Amino acid sequence: MRALEPWVEGPLRTFVAESQVRVALLMTSAGQVVAQHGFTRSLDVMTAAALGAGIVASTRELARETGAGTFGAIVHQGGKQGVFLAPFSMPDAQWIGLAVFGPDTSIGLVQLFFGRMVDDLVKTAPRTLPGREVLPETFEDDLNASLRALFGR
Amino acid sequence: MPLVNFTAREITCKLVYYGPGRCGKTTNLQYIHGRVPEARRGRMVSLATQSDRTLFFDFLPIELGVISGFTTRFQLYTVPGQVYYNATRRLVLQGADGVVFVVDSQARRFDENVESFQNLQENLLEQGVDIRQLPLVLQYNKQDLPPDLVLSAPELDEAFNFRSVPSLPADALHGTGVFETLKALSTVVLQRLAARPPTL
Amino acid sequence: MTAREQMVLDDITRVSGVKSAILVAADDGLVVAESALEGQATEAAAAFAARLAQRLAALTRTLHTPPMSVMLLQATGGQLFVAAGGEGLLLVAVTGNDVNIGEVRLALLDAAGRLN
Repeated sequence: MRALEPWVEGPLRTFVAESQVRVALLMTSAGQVVAQHGFTRSLDVMTAAALGAGIVASTRELARETGAGTFGAIVHQGGKQGVFLAPFSMPDAQWIGLAVFGPDTSIGLVQLFFGRMVDDLVKTAPRTLPGREVLPETFEDDLNASLRALFGR
Repeated sequence: MPLVNFTAREITCKLVYYGPGRCGKTTNLQYIHGRVPEARRGRMVSLATQSDRTLFFDFLPIELGVISGFTTRFQLYTVPGQVYYNATRRLVLQGADGVVFVVDSQARRFDENVESFQNLQENLLEQGVDIRQLPLVLQYNKQDLPPDLVLSAPELDEAFNFRSVPSLPADALHGTGVFETLKALSTVVLQRLAARPPTL
Repeated sequence: MTAREQMVLDDITRVSGVKSAILVAADDGLVVAESALEGQATEAAAAFAARLAQRLAALTRTLHTPPMSVMLLQATGGQLFVAAGGEGLLLVAVTGNDVNIGEVRLALLDAAGRLN
């Protein structure tokens, strides 16, 4: 499990343990990964987050266009695995949760524990963001060196 | 703003390629995908129509490497260029840390470039973002075409580059200017990050 | 929810001590219809009951015993009754501890018969 902010880890860990989902991902509404469990490759996480955020954004827009109001969650039930995708409100941002679950749990349980995780996250979220660390002074020089190394020019 | 995880020492930035239909946004990503070592890139996701026009977006995650101890990743997106996909463009643009505006250098596509550039400004403004505050790089693509068909880089600068942002001539199909463009935008985005503390 | 389902569930909640009666999709644990006193967490009961029923069904298959008719889970704070409620459905009743178990069981079986 990896999380951008340490306080996210506890609620996510509880959700994974209780709902028995195989993969869980929390992201911002812009598709930036906040925390994840179950992915092995960081670049795959980013792809899942981009697609998840795209689905939520387009579904929300579709709901607005058709006058269907807001939507709570999307569930795709496959043969062996299901996907649960739901946006939710944090104190200062909109987040999205994505979970992949197998036959060892059910959508009812996933939905139930997801709701509890959201409650926990909202309760745990710091009301004022802590003072941030700053990037090292060498960052800019290192950045130029890395860009040269990757792009070869 | 880019996401910075000080605990795991990771930086993630969202960069969006914007521009009119068929200007070469997807071609930029395809070239990058083909040239960046496999270990440094993810799968390129393209949500396209049957005629290969981008329907929703193209997405390519790449890893820049470790900068001052921070693993730095870019999420590269393209937006659909066709005028009627504006709702989708707005969605993809949400939360962008930087934008490459890809100009189709062909003289006959001038008006479409202008329209798309105005559309970018409108869509950003709708999200409360002033284009003057957002890292922006202009790429003048298709400069390999015969000179009588295309506008030169200085001519295009005159039309689009009011802010003197980095602008680069390119031939995305053959890779000329593709990495230079990405490098220019990466530099602006990350320099900005180094200059001020990020927020989630 | 149909009027018939609602009537069947309402009849279960008329039994003394029953706090909620829920018709649940057996596979996904979602509420199909419910009749409940205010403040009852029917979604949670439905999700747990479906999961329990799935586990028990797997056990009975393994042991080659007949499928369950009514399952009863007794806890300190109350009791959970689960019965097969027709094709792909479960009938669930949440009660306090001071109920006549036989009466609730009969009400569930009667309801299941009316739904089938």
